[in-house]
Amino acid sequence: MDLFANLAHGFVVAFSPINLLMCLIGALVGTLVGVLPGIGTIATVAMLLPITFGLPPVGALIMLAGIYYGAQYGGSTTSILVNIPGEATSVVTAIDGHQMAKQGRAGPALAIAAIGSFFAGCVATVLIAVLGAPLTKLALAFGPAEYFSLMVLGLIFAVVLAKGSVLKAIAMNVFGLLLSMVGSDIETGASRMAFNIPELADGLGFATVAMGVFGFAEIIRNLDAGAEMNRDLVQQKITGLMPTRKDLIDSTPAVLRGTVLGSILGILPGGGAVIASFAAYTLEKKLAKNPSRFGRGAIEGVAAPESANNAAAQTSFIPLLTLGIPPNAVMALMVGAMTIHGIVPGPQVMQKQPDLVWGMIASMWIGNLMLIIINLPLVGIWVRLLRVPYRLMFPSIVIFCAIGIYSVNNAPVDVILAGVFGLVGYWLIKHDFEPAPLLLGMVLGPLMEENLRRALLISRGDWSVFLTRPLSAALLVIATFLLVLTLLPMLRAKRDEVFTESEN
Amino acid sequence: MADAMGHSATATRSTSVAMGFCVLAVAPQIFELIWSFGTIFGWGAGRGPLQVVAAHAAALVAGAPIALLGAAGGDAKKASSDVLLALIYSYPLLAVAILTLFMTIRSAQDYVGGIVLMALALFALWASSDLQGMRGFSFGAGTAPRMFGGLLVALGAGIALTGLLSDGPAMAHYSWRGPLFVMASIVFFALAIRPLGVVVAAFVSFLIAAMGTHETRWIETIIVGACLTLGCALLFPYVLGLPMPMFPRFLAQ
Repeated sequence: MDLFANLAHGFVVAFSPINLLMCLIGALVGTLVGVLPGIGTIATVAMLLPITFGLPPVGALIMLAGIYYGAQYGGSTTSILVNIPGEATSVVTAIDGHQMAKQGRAGPALAIAAIGSFFAGCVATVLIAVLGAPLTKLALAFGPAEYFSLMVLGLIFAVVLAKGSVLKAIAMNVFGLLLSMVGSDIETGASRMAFNIPELADGLGFATVAMGVFGFAEIIRNLDAGAEMNRDLVQQKITGLMPTRKDLIDSTPAVLRGTVLGSILGILPGGGAVIASFAAYTLEKKLAKNPSRFGRGAIEGVAAPESANNAAAQTSFIPLLTLGIPPNAVMALMVGAMTIHGIVPGPQVMQKQPDLVWGMIASMWIGNLMLIIINLPLVGIWVRLLRVPYRLMFPSIVIFCAIGIYSVNNAPVDVILAGVFGLVGYWLIKHDFEPAPLLLGMVLGPLMEENLRRALLISRGDWSVFLTRPLSAALLVIATFLLVLTLLPMLRAKRDEVFTESEN
Repeated sequence: MADAMGHSATATRSTSVAMGFCVLAVAPQIFELIWSFGTIFGWGAGRGPLQVVAAHAAALVAGAPIALLGAAGGDAKKASSDVLLALIYSYPLLAVAILTLFMTIRSAQDYVGGIVLMALALFALWASSDLQGMRGFSFGAGTAPRMFGGLLVALGAGIALTGLLSDGPAMAHYSWRGPLFVMASIVFFALAIRPLGVVVAAFVSFLIAAMGTHETRWIETIIVGACLTLGCALLFPYVLGLPMPMFPRFLAQ
C-alpha cells in the first residue's frame, strides 16, 4: 500500500528535530491563543506569517498548522474553567463545560475535551492520508468551469453557515470579491481601482485585510465593553482529572458522532471548525433521550463539539492540499504561507512536494499528542494567564500586529491599510455584517475570476458551459439547492434557533 | 421593537440619515480636497485645492447634467473622470438621500448598512469605469469588477429595502475612545517606524494604544510597554532575521 509508505515517509520528515520543535512551538502558541480571549486564530496566523520567512517551508507550514488545531484545544480550557470561550469554536463548549466545572467536575470535563479532541485528531489525520490521493485524481477531471462552480459552492456554503441575514452574507461575499480585484489585472496587467497608489498596484494584501478586520476590529469592539471583562474564575483546585467509567460510556458515542460530523463539515468549502462545533452540539441535543440535561452540565455537550471542531480543523486541509482551494480564512492564510515559499497549492503539490504534504499530515498526529500533554497537566498555568488584564493585553496585541504587518513587505502603508480595515471591520460588526464571508470572497476572488475568464474563453463566450459540463452542473445545482433551502421560511427559523441557542 | 414608539422616533431621524447620505455622496470629492492641501507643502503630486474645488463643482453642477442630456440625445462623448464620478456615484446617492426623507426607516441598522455598501459598490463602478470591457467574448480588465460592482449595488439596495420593510435593530452605539486611540497608535507606528526605528515607535505606540481605555494604570503600562518593546526588538530583527531599523536615524549615524 502506498498509504503506509507515504505515512512512514511523513513521520520520518516530521520527526526531524527542527520539525518537532516547530510542531511544539505551533502547538504552544496555538494553545496560548486559544486560551486568551480577544485574539483569534486568523489574526495570529496572519501575525506569524512574516515570521515564517526565515524557516524552511515544511517547518513553517507545520508550525502554522499547529497553531490552528492547537487553538481548538486551548479554547476549550477557558470555556470550561472561566466561561469565556477563547475561540469562536468553543462557544458551545462553554454551555455545558462551565456548568460541569461549577459542579466541581472541571477535571473530567477538561479530560473528555482533550481525549475527544485527540481521538478526532487521529481520525482526521488518517482521513487526510486516505482521501488525499483519490481526491487529487478527481482534481485532474476539473477544468476551469468546474473550478469556478466549486468556488461558487464554497461561497454559498459560507453564506448558509454564516449567522444572520442571508442577503447580508452574500453581500459580504461580493464585497470580498470586489476587494480582491484591486491591483493589477492578471491577464492584461491593467491597474484596477488602485488610484495610482504604488502600494496598491500589487493588490490588497490578504494578511493586511485579515489582520484589520479580525485583529484590530475585534480589539476596538472589545474596548467598547470596557477593558475589564467579568471573569468568574473557578477558584477551587481542579482535583481528579480522570473521568469516571460512566462519563466515558456517556461520551463515547458523542465523540464518535462529533468526529464524523466535524470531518464532513471540515472538508466542505466554506465550513470549518466553528460551524462543526455548533452542529455537533445541536445534533447531540436532538438525539439525547433527555434533552433538558443540556445546559446543566451534560458531558456529551462537551465531548461532541470539542471532537467536531478538532476534526474539522484538520480535515479542512484536504481541499487545500488536493484542489488548491482554501475552504476558510485560516486555510487562505496557509496558501499565503505556501506562496511565500514558492509553492503553488493545487493537485500537483502532492506529487511534487511529498515531504511537505506527508510531513505536515504526520506532524498533525504528533502535534495532537503534544497537545494532550501540554493541556492536561499544565492546565493551571494556562488558567493563570487569564489573570493578565485586558488593559495590558490589548496594546501589546496592537503593537505586535503592527510590527508583524510592517515586516511582511517592509511597507508602512500596509500598517495604515490594516488600521483602515480595522475601522471597516468595526463598522461591519456594528451593522451586523459577518466578516468571515468577506474574507473568503477575497481569497477566492482571483481564482474565481481567472477560472471564469478561462472557462468562457474556452467555450467562446457561451455561458451555458457551466451547465453542460456534468460535474460543474452538479456543483451549481447543489449550491442553488442549498441557497433555496436556507431561504425557506421553515428551515430559516430552525437556523436562527440554532444560532441564538449557541450565543446564549 | 416597540412599534408605536419606534415609528415616531425613527421618522424624525430620517432627516439626519438623509443628511448623512448627502455627505457620503460627496465624500470622495471632500477627501480629494483634503488630500490636495498636501500639494501646498509640496507633498505628493496632483491638483491643488482650488483646482479640485473648481473641477468638482463644475462637474457636479454643470458637467454631469450636460453629459446626461448629451447621452439622452444620442451624443456619446467621452466624459471626464470628475463628471463620471458625479454621474456614477454622487447623483444616485443624492437621489437616495432625497428618497430617504420620505421613508419610514424601520431598521436603521439594515437601511444604513445597505446604502453604504451600495455607495462602496458605486464607487468601485466609477473606479473601474476607465478599464476595458468585453472584447468579443473575452473578458477585459474591467468586466469582472463591473459585474461584481453591479451585483453589490443590487444587494446593497436589497438590504436597505429590508430595513424599510421589516422591523429590526436601530443604529448601534459607537464609542470614540477605543477606535481613536487604537487608530492613532497604528498611524503613529506607520509614520515612525522608518525614521525612528522599532524601539521608539513600538514604545510610544504602546502608550498611545493604552489610552484607548480609561482603566489604564500608567506605571504598570510603562513597565509592560518597555518589556514588550525589548522583546520585539530582540525577536524580530535577531531571532527571526527580519531587517528593520532599531534606533532613530539621527542617533544611528
